[in-house]
Amino acid sequence: MPGILIVEDDTELREMLKVSFSRRKYTILEAGNGKDAITHFKPGVTDLVVTDLIMPEEDGLKVIMKLREIKPSIKIIAISGGGKAGPGSYLNLAKALGADAVYSKPFSVNDMILKIEELLNVEQQ
Amino acid sequence: MNSGKDISENDDSMSFLSREKYFADHILNNSRSMISVINRDYVYEKVNTTFCKAHKGLAEYIVGKTLGDVWGQETFRNSIKQNIDKCFSGATVKYEASFTVPQAGRRYFEVVFRPFPVESGEITHLLAETFDITDLKLSEKIAIEKEEEFKRMEQMLEDRLLQAQKLETIGALAGGIAHDFNNILATISGYSELLQEDLPKTSASYQKVTKIQTAVSKARSLINQMLTFSRQVEQEKVTVNVYEVLKETIGFIKSAAPDNVTVRSNIRSKNAFVFADPTQLFRVFLNLMTNAIQALEEREGIISVSLKNVSGKSVRDELNKMIVADEYVLVTFRDTGRGMDPSLLRRIFEPFFTTRDIGKGSGLGLSVVHGIITEMGGEILVSSEKDKGSVFYVYLPISAESAKANIISEKRKRIFLIMGNKHESRILSLALESAGYELILSSSPKNLADAVSDRNSQPDLIIFMSDAENIKAVNLLDALQKSGSEIPCIIIDDPDHDIHEENFLNSGIVSQHIIKPVSLKEIKDAIQMSIK
Repeated sequence: MPGILIVEDDTELREMLKVSFSRRKYTILEAGNGKDAITHFKPGVTDLVVTDLIMPEEDGLKVIMKLREIKPSIKIIAISGGGKAGPGSYLNLAKALGADAVYSKPFSVNDMILKIEELLNVEQQ
Repeated sequence: MNSGKDISENDDSMSFLSREKYFADHILNNSRSMISVINRDYVYEKVNTTFCKAHKGLAEYIVGKTLGDVWGQETFRNSIKQNIDKCFSGATVKYEASFTVPQAGRRYFEVVFRPFPVESGEITHLLAETFDITDLKLSEKIAIEKEEEFKRMEQMLEDRLLQAQKLETIGALAGGIAHDFNNILATISGYSELLQEDLPKTSASYQKVTKIQTAVSKARSLINQMLTFSRQVEQEKVTVNVYEVLKETIGFIKSAAPDNVTVRSNIRSKNAFVFADPTQLFRVFLNLMTNAIQALEEREGIISVSLKNVSGKSVRDELNKMIVADEYVLVTFRDTGRGMDPSLLRRIFEPFFTTRDIGKGSGLGLSVVHGIITEMGGEILVSSEKDKGSVFYVYLPISAESAKANIISEKRKRIFLIMGNKHESRILSLALESAGYELILSSSPKNLADAVSDRNSQPDLIIFMSDAENIKAVNLLDALQKSGSEIPCIIIDDPDHDIHEENFLNSGIVSQHIIKPVSLKEIKDAIQMSIK
C-alpha cells in the first residue's frame, strides 16, 4: 500500500485529509509541522507528501526542498491557504521549488485524489 | 504770562453755570457714543451730535420725537420698551443689540440705560448711551471663524490619519485571517465531498451538500478579494506617463460601456510622468470609471474624464497639505449619476463599505484605490451632490525624471506576449517595457510557432493573457511543449477562472499562474521564478 505523509498544522484539516485518503487504501502518516515532517521522515514507506506551506517551525517550502533531497523520487503536493502575499504566489514558489502539484485551499479533495493516483501510477511505471 | 491772564479774564466774564454747560455740551457732543435723555413718555428730550449724525439729522428734528418714531414702532415695542421700563423702575440696564441706523445700515450696539436724576427719588428721565461695537463684533466673528476653520482642518487631518491606519490594520488583518479561514473552508469542503460520496446522487441530502459547496466557493472568492486588498501594499514602480494609462483605460471602458453611457475626455497634458506601477494605475482608473457607470444606474448619462498638470502650490492650498511635490497631475472623473449624501461620502474609502446589495460587491474597490494612490504619494478627493452626480479628483505627484526609465541590461530578456484585451495588454507591455524587458506582442498565438523556431528571435519567456479567444493558445503551448520546447510560460488569468488555477499549473503547461488584477511586482516575481 502506497504511503502518504500529510504535513498540516490545522488538526481538523489534517484529519479530513486522513479520512479521505484512508478510503482509498493508502497508508497514512501525519506531521503537525515542517520540523516533525523532516526529522521523522521515513523514505521507505512514504511515496507521496501532501504539505501545507505556511506552518510553525519549518515551513512547507523547506519541507519540499529537504524531502526532495532525502528522497529524489518522492511526489509532492503543496497546499496553501495563502497569507499576506495571496495563495497564488506561494503556490507558484512551491511549484518552482519542485512540487509536482499545488492546490489552494479550499480545494476539491476528489481532484487531489485523482492527482495522487496519477502521480503514484507514474511512479510505478 | 499774558496769555494766561487773558484766559482767566475770559473765564471771569463767563458765568459759572454757562461755563459748566459749555464743558458738558462739549463732552456730550464729542463722545463716540450716541447719548440721549429720554422721558417717561419715551420722548427724546436731548440728543448729542453723534446721535444726530447716525440718524442723518439735526437735534431739532429728533428732540420731541418718540423712540417709536425714531427706531420704528415694531423695534420699539419688541426690543426697546421693556428695557426702558426696567430702567424707570430703578435699574441700570445694559444689553447688546443690532439696529439699522440711517447713516451706516445694520450695526451692533452696546446699549446702557441709566435712571436720572437718581437723588430726587422719583425717576423722571433716563440717560441712554449707545456705543457702536460692530467692529469689535466683526473681529470677534473673524476670530471665531478662524478657530472653526482651524478645528475643521485638524479634524480633516485626523480623519485622514485614522483612515490610513484603518486601511493598514484591515490589510494586515485580512492576510492573517485569510490563511486560517481557508483552512476552515478546506475542512468544510472536504467533509462535504466525503458526505456526497456516502449519499445517493438523487437524494435531497446530496443537493443540500451541494449548497454547502456553493457557499464555500463564495467564501473563497471573498477571501481572495481580501487578499487582493492586502497584497496591494508593495508596489514595483517605474516611470510612466499617466496619459498613456488613462488613454487605454478610456479605450477599455468605451468598448465595454453600455449604450446609456457617454464617455467624454478632456486631455490637457500628454506629458504627465509619474513614478508608479502602470497596472495598478490602470486598476485605479478602471475602478473609478466602473463606479461612475454604476452610479448612472442604467439611465442616460455622461462620464467626463479630464487630465491636466497642476502646480504643487495649488495642491497645497486646495488640499491643506503640508508637504507637496513641485507639480501634480490631476485626473478628474465626473459622472451625472445618483450622487451621494454627505454621510455616505465620509465612508466610501472604508474597506467593506458598500452601497450595493450583499454579494454585488465586496466594498473593497475604493479602499484599494485609496491605498494605491496614497502609497504613490498622491491624494484622492471626492465631492458629490445627491441626484446630481459625483466627482473624483486624483492627484499624483509628477516624477522629477520625465523620461522613460532607460534600463540597459547586458542582455534584455525577451518576452513573447500573447495579448488578451488590447487595452489591458498595452498597459502590461507598458509596464514590462518600462521595467526593462524586450517585448514581442502578438494578438494571436499563431505567430508563436514561427518565433520559437527562429533561433535568433526565440523568446526567453511566453506570457499569455487569458481570454476566450486565447483558449487555442493553451492547446498550442501544450503542443509546443510536447515537441520539446523548454520556454517557460506564465498565464495571467481572470479571477473567475480561478478554479482552473491548479489545472494550468498541474498540467505542466504553465510554470506560473497569476490572477488578475496583477501588479508589476507579481509579474516580475513570476518572471524571475520562471527564467532561471
